[in-house]
Amino acid sequence: MPPLMEVRDLSKYFKVPAGVLHAVDRVSFTIEKGKTLGVVGESGCGKSTLGRTMIRLQEVTDGLILLNGEDITHVSGRKLREVREKVQIVFQDPYSSLNPRLLIEETIQEPLRNSCDYSRSQLKERASALMDLVGIDMRLRQSYPHELDGGRRQRVGIARALALNPEFIVCDEPVSSLDVSIQAQVLNLLMDLQDQMGVAYLFVTHDLSVVRHISNAICVMYLGETVEMCPSKELFSTSMHPYTKALLSAIPSIDIDEPMRPIPLKGELTSPINPKPGCRFFPRCPYAKGGCRQPLRLEEVSEKHFVACHRVREIN
Amino acid sequence: MPNQNDVSLTVRNLNVVYTSRKKIIHAVNGVSFIMKKGQTLGLVGETGAGKTTIAKSILRILPDPPAKVLGGEIMLEGKDLMKVPEKEMLKIRGEKIAMIFQDPMTALNPLMTIGDQIMEGLRLHNDYSEAEAAQTAKELLEMVGIHAERFKEYPFEFSGGMKQRVVIAMALACEPELLLADEPTTALDVTIQAQVLDLINKLRAKYHTSMILITHNLGVVAQTCDHVAVIYAGKIIEYGSKRDVFLNYAHPYTLGLFASLPSFSKDAPRLKPIQGSMPDPTRLPPGCTFHPRCPHVIEDCTKSEIPLIEVSPGHFCRCCNMRQEG
Repeated sequence: MPPLMEVRDLSKYFKVPAGVLHAVDRVSFTIEKGKTLGVVGESGCGKSTLGRTMIRLQEVTDGLILLNGEDITHVSGRKLREVREKVQIVFQDPYSSLNPRLLIEETIQEPLRNSCDYSRSQLKERASALMDLVGIDMRLRQSYPHELDGGRRQRVGIARALALNPEFIVCDEPVSSLDVSIQAQVLNLLMDLQDQMGVAYLFVTHDLSVVRHISNAICVMYLGETVEMCPSKELFSTSMHPYTKALLSAIPSIDIDEPMRPIPLKGELTSPINPKPGCRFFPRCPYAKGGCRQPLRLEEVSEKHFVACHRVREIN
Repeated sequence: MPNQNDVSLTVRNLNVVYTSRKKIIHAVNGVSFIMKKGQTLGLVGETGAGKTTIAKSILRILPDPPAKVLGGEIMLEGKDLMKVPEKEMLKIRGEKIAMIFQDPMTALNPLMTIGDQIMEGLRLHNDYSEAEAAQTAKELLEMVGIHAERFKEYPFEFSGGMKQRVVIAMALACEPELLLADEPTTALDVTIQAQVLDLINKLRAKYHTSMILITHNLGVVAQTCDHVAVIYAGKIIEYGSKRDVFLNYAHPYTLGLFASLPSFSKDAPRLKPIQGSMPDPTRLPPGCTFHPRCPHVIEDCTKSEIPLIEVSPGHFCRCCNMRQEG
């Protein structure tokens, strides 16, 4: 059986006045049915672009996207509509991702109207079932998005994404704009839905504790490239890439007896425009050496643990 | 009562509302606290809890209307800031109390060079000549890790983390006694957040500045503050040393906040979120404002105002169920 979702050497470049911006560069991974791959990285690392490109919201520059073994990289027309029924997205900002002029009920019905031949009563019934599933009160059916708080709006976004029983959902920072107590409610909901419906997620976030909680495997991105990918717990116990180590060390712990010892990184994120060959983390890396300028590939260092670093064996 | 000389700021019974044509929003409902010199107080709470409103009332920069301070005292060096004339307040802002805003992208004037913006405060509060101010501004930039050559650049030429450093340099320019930091690192990535927190801590220690740090990130509080006030619906519901609040929390809301956080080390299949959402600030529930979401609610919770009770020396909690247990 082919995996549910597979990308091979996926790249997405943008032409900008200063040159070519490498937003996503040769990223490969697979996601099995009912599993979650977390994608983490700092702003500008290409994690959202990756999610959007994978589900064909943006044209692919290079590489392959396979859904159930079938190449969907360049499909169009009716075929693309079929793909869209199977892959959906939940956006980061529940304030701008809902149409302010549509009732909650209409928002949830919209994908059904586009893809199914439902009668009016069937539409209503399905929308009610979906609202029930994500825990939105029935009395909010005839409300507008502005009448709801962030957590409820995000539930509407999730209900809309689930309307067509997709197999795969890109969750693009779905809880980043929510308060912790509400964030926990939405995370629980996403995990329950996965158990019930077997949907797979690509979970994009910058919050490492969230990603550990929800993912089976984690992919760490830096300037458009995967620098480390491994099963989720392993990343926290035995991270190998210098960037991952720095990222983990910078999280302020809630344990008051465990002072933060962030590994200092030189400078800030360099530009993804016309990147130089070799390791892109090189200018900031505490372990950088001349050899790091050589071209670099992701390498399986131990079982299911991939790292892109020339010196991975020396420094671990 | 702490020695009067050790106290840097006293807030007593602060009440603030926002009014619109139809509604009154009760943003801050009777907040009181005392800060000692050199102390760092973390104000923790969710969106809409009133954290930023408290900070802005201390500086008296709330827009009126819609905001109205209904009452309360804010004592700094024996003066009630609520009563001093606006002219004197201009001297206090920036010189005695400075603020770091959440969003470094909007806190800076896009049409002024970084250097001019830092010099503005310096020249307003000191008798500096242009050259002296420029010299000091350059030193400040170097102190926050920005090369002095970038003095003449505009905000758009800096990244988010750099802009926040500039804002910090501006806030510390006149060596204020009290720093109000409103979510200073929320807009930043974690590696940059670590750098900025480190910088704030070092500079605070250097100038012996007291700080009120507003955040919803409990990790940031754990790593920077010595005292913590948990705010819910405009009220302090728990207050104490960091140890009291993080290890011996007494209020069910504080417990709920900690239980909502995914852990790095333990494997919990499900998080335990707080049920429901924040109450509507135009119609706050009677009694304990948390009671509609509280798993331990009893009849007393809905009846009357719950006072802050000292559960152990210096550790206060506003919960009537806990009082009965104690």
